[in-house]
Amino acid sequence: MSNEAVLHAHATTEVHHDAHGDHHGEHHHHETFITKYVFSQDHKMIAKQFLITGMVWAVLGGLMSVLFRLQLGYPDSTFPWLEDILGKWAAGGKITPEAYYALVTTHGTVLVFFVLTAGLSGTFANFLIPLQVGARDMASPFMNMLSYWFFFAAGIVMLSSLFVETGPFSGGWTAYPPLSALGDASPGSKTGMDLWLISMALFVVSSLLGGLNYIATVLNMRTKGMSMTRLPLTIWALFFTAILGVLSFPVLFSGFILLIFDRNFGTSFYLSDIFINGVGALPNEGGSAILYQHLFWFLGHPEVYIILLPAMGMVSEILSVNSRKPIFGYMAMVGSLFAIAILAFLVWAHHMFVTGLNPFLGSIFVLLTLLIAVPSAIKVFNWLTTLWRGSIRFTPAMLFAIGFVSLFISGGLTGIWLGNSALDIHLHDTYFVVAHFHIVMGVASMFGMFAGIYHWFPKMYGKQLNNTLGYIHFWATIAGAYLIFWPMHYQGLAGMPRRYYDFSAWESFNQFGDLNRFISTVAMVVFAVQILFLFNFFHSIFKGRKLTNPNPWESNTLEWTTPINPGHGNWVGEIPEVHRWAYDYAKDGKEFIPQTTPVGADESQH
Amino acid sequence: MATTATAHVTKSWSGGKSPFNVEYGKLMMWYFLMSDAFTFGAFLISYGTIRFSTNGWPDPNEVFKSFPFAPEGANAPLVFVSVMTFILIISSVTMVLAVQAGHNMDKKGVTKNLIWTIIGGIAFLSCQAWEWNHLHHEGAWWGSNPFLNHDGTASTTNFTNYFFTITGFHGFHVLSGVVINIVMLIMTLTDKFEQRGHYLMIEKAGLYWHFVDLVWVFVFTCFYLI
Amino acid sequence: MAHTAEHDEHAGGGTKEIIKVTVILTVLTIVELVLGFWMIDIPLDQESFRLAIKGTIVILMMAKAFYIVAYFMHLKHELKNLIMTIVVPLALFIWFIAAFLYDGNSFRNLRNTYDPHFKEQSTIKVEKKQAASHGEAKHADEQHGEEKKAEEKAGH
Repeated sequence: MSNEAVLHAHATTEVHHDAHGDHHGEHHHHETFITKYVFSQDHKMIAKQFLITGMVWAVLGGLMSVLFRLQLGYPDSTFPWLEDILGKWAAGGKITPEAYYALVTTHGTVLVFFVLTAGLSGTFANFLIPLQVGARDMASPFMNMLSYWFFFAAGIVMLSSLFVETGPFSGGWTAYPPLSALGDASPGSKTGMDLWLISMALFVVSSLLGGLNYIATVLNMRTKGMSMTRLPLTIWALFFTAILGVLSFPVLFSGFILLIFDRNFGTSFYLSDIFINGVGALPNEGGSAILYQHLFWFLGHPEVYIILLPAMGMVSEILSVNSRKPIFGYMAMVGSLFAIAILAFLVWAHHMFVTGLNPFLGSIFVLLTLLIAVPSAIKVFNWLTTLWRGSIRFTPAMLFAIGFVSLFISGGLTGIWLGNSALDIHLHDTYFVVAHFHIVMGVASMFGMFAGIYHWFPKMYGKQLNNTLGYIHFWATIAGAYLIFWPMHYQGLAGMPRRYYDFSAWESFNQFGDLNRFISTVAMVVFAVQILFLFNFFHSIFKGRKLTNPNPWESNTLEWTTPINPGHGNWVGEIPEVHRWAYDYAKDGKEFIPQTTPVGADESQH
Repeated sequence: MATTATAHVTKSWSGGKSPFNVEYGKLMMWYFLMSDAFTFGAFLISYGTIRFSTNGWPDPNEVFKSFPFAPEGANAPLVFVSVMTFILIISSVTMVLAVQAGHNMDKKGVTKNLIWTIIGGIAFLSCQAWEWNHLHHEGAWWGSNPFLNHDGTASTTNFTNYFFTITGFHGFHVLSGVVINIVMLIMTLTDKFEQRGHYLMIEKAGLYWHFVDLVWVFVFTCFYLI
Repeated sequence: MAHTAEHDEHAGGGTKEIIKVTVILTVLTIVELVLGFWMIDIPLDQESFRLAIKGTIVILMMAKAFYIVAYFMHLKHELKNLIMTIVVPLALFIWFIAAFLYDGNSFRNLRNTYDPHFKEQSTIKVEKKQAASHGEAKHADEQHGEEKKAEEKAGH
């Protein structure tokens, strides 16, 4: 009973605060358009900047995939309108091989780094960390702002590379030398590659500035009572993500610096015994292309978890809130996040089984890789048991969270196949790999991101998204994702290689002509549905249903104790103190008990 | 005894304060240095990888055997680099003294020791500039290696490639350290820290400077000794 | 102010400690240099002996790193929590180094086994004097040789 009284009292203060919210903001500092929307140091605005920039890149990257799927699905057709938008890159209405590779490369780079790293972890780390740990802002708001603008600059440089004469880089998002190290190797390896490297270097700086901030904030700026074990799982996940980024991006950075020297200053770090048609033999000797792959994947593998962990954290939170049940196995969830973060650093060479890597070393990497199945399985079973016998609310966010679990299982299982170096001899560089990583890393993380957007949109803008459009978005996307990527497993098992421009020359792959057409068609439909989501998003910012309840999901975490449109500083007056963990749902007959509620005398085991 | 320890731990992690009892800036500096350690680590490890995958390697004693104003054909291996090493170690010592003076709010001590540190840094950079220049005159540069392997066979250019890249990157860190220290000196002289009531900023600059020294310990060993 | 006051509590041993650590670092460096000088005179074919010295130098390097981090960077006098969060992630370097170097070594063996040109290069001695004084010229020569080699390859 006493708890309920506290709850009510709490709710009234909320309303009271809200009324004064605007006044407080004005009183504090006079903000101009520039300081509020452009060079903002408010973590919430920076989060929105990351999100919307990420969306722009998602549309561009998605559009690229539609274009190259057009080539794969309809290799014999011509589309005159393509020449109108792509010019010489689609002479005669058919995408040229150079353009095809440029599209594939840029699609990969943009989606992995700009959308799923910056757009996902940049958005939600910025938005949720101060709100959920109970801080007024990040440790260093200025560095936080710089982090966004470095990302923005990286994006501008990448964008400009699309418009240079010789085209953007076209050697795959992993940028393996010698293709990336020698300007004469392909048109895209000239200016396009230089811009690609500059862009990625700026991106590394951005992620470093952001990551240091996230770590310092989570460790140092938790509000009173918010011990580490009371943190919502979102924060744990974002914390580990930041650590992964801070420790692995510099290795990529070193690799890039060596690559820049190879490109411009005549060194041979990655080059040896090379003959280029039309140029002749190169003097470079003594380097090792495998070295670059080691350096790249030392980042590249943690990068997969940089993308996936934030989604995992948000899904854990959303599943618990909407099942109206505490998360199952909180400490196991934290432990498995930790285990994944450690293992992420130990398994990089499983991307390189067939490159000439020492097979014995490969066998150790197999063992370490398969170990990841353990924490992953712990997480999956904990999510499922959280859902088990919950009173589930099927909000769009919840559907996307459940969709994430489904995709994570489907994509994770094929990871066990690919993690075996012997099986990998057959499967590497086929569509099986494409299917695996798109489902487990690409689409699953996108689902985590969508879940996050649907769940926290009310907090971001004080409005509600349209639910009907949300449901259409979910069902079309999950059906589409499986329809696109499931068949690719069969293509891959049949040996169909990835990154090929045209399969019609091979009798053995001709049987997949119809399937390719089908996949391309679904891809276009799914892309159109994402536009529908974007319409929902931007329309709702301005015209969405106004939020009346500061805690629309009846959630326990701290962000819902702020006013509906929190100003810079988040809380009016004192930052609330925390008295319990974030998952007291359905406890002692109460629907939910916010973290700010003191522990009552009559409460069962706390 | 055990219970008090646990109580202490619980209290320091329970929020509302830093669990490490340090301000966020120092924490960030530490984690930045960790990340930078991985940058240098990656450089040195890839140097090691290439060296392990190559049959021969030049003998550092044949390469680094001169010093400024040395007579033609001087053979003094390890001499000049040991001078450089000591310069950096001593500058690190003066930096610690500056930090310590900062703790005691001793403006004079901070100023004096910072100046010594800056002089040490500039001296180190000058030494490096001389060495680079000397090697360049011998024909060594990125992509060109005049030296032979220890066993008299032809060497790949990766010896000089890595030498110039890694010492260059380290030198760049020293340079930025000197710039940071000069900024700290100006801030000390204009009483910025006196007004703030603490010299914590010097501590962070100190961490950076020691890190540069630390990296040199590794670079020195990897390139000149083994 | 309260913060700095608190800080001084575990500020460590002061000037005395600094002097002590300086002496230790100097001694370690001198020992390293002595080992380095010693190694100059040890012929190349005593490989295991040379390796042992190199190993000793690496251990001394780690000791120096420890003293710099622990005392100059003051880590030893921080709370144990902070020490752990910094030292534990550095353990990642173990596998980082081991895997990279192991694979580098394996790459050399691969090339020595399957790339006769690579193997041959490491047995041909170059005239010392000529090569040492004309770095650039030698480089051009090498380039020429490369072209020849590539032509041969293309011919096959």
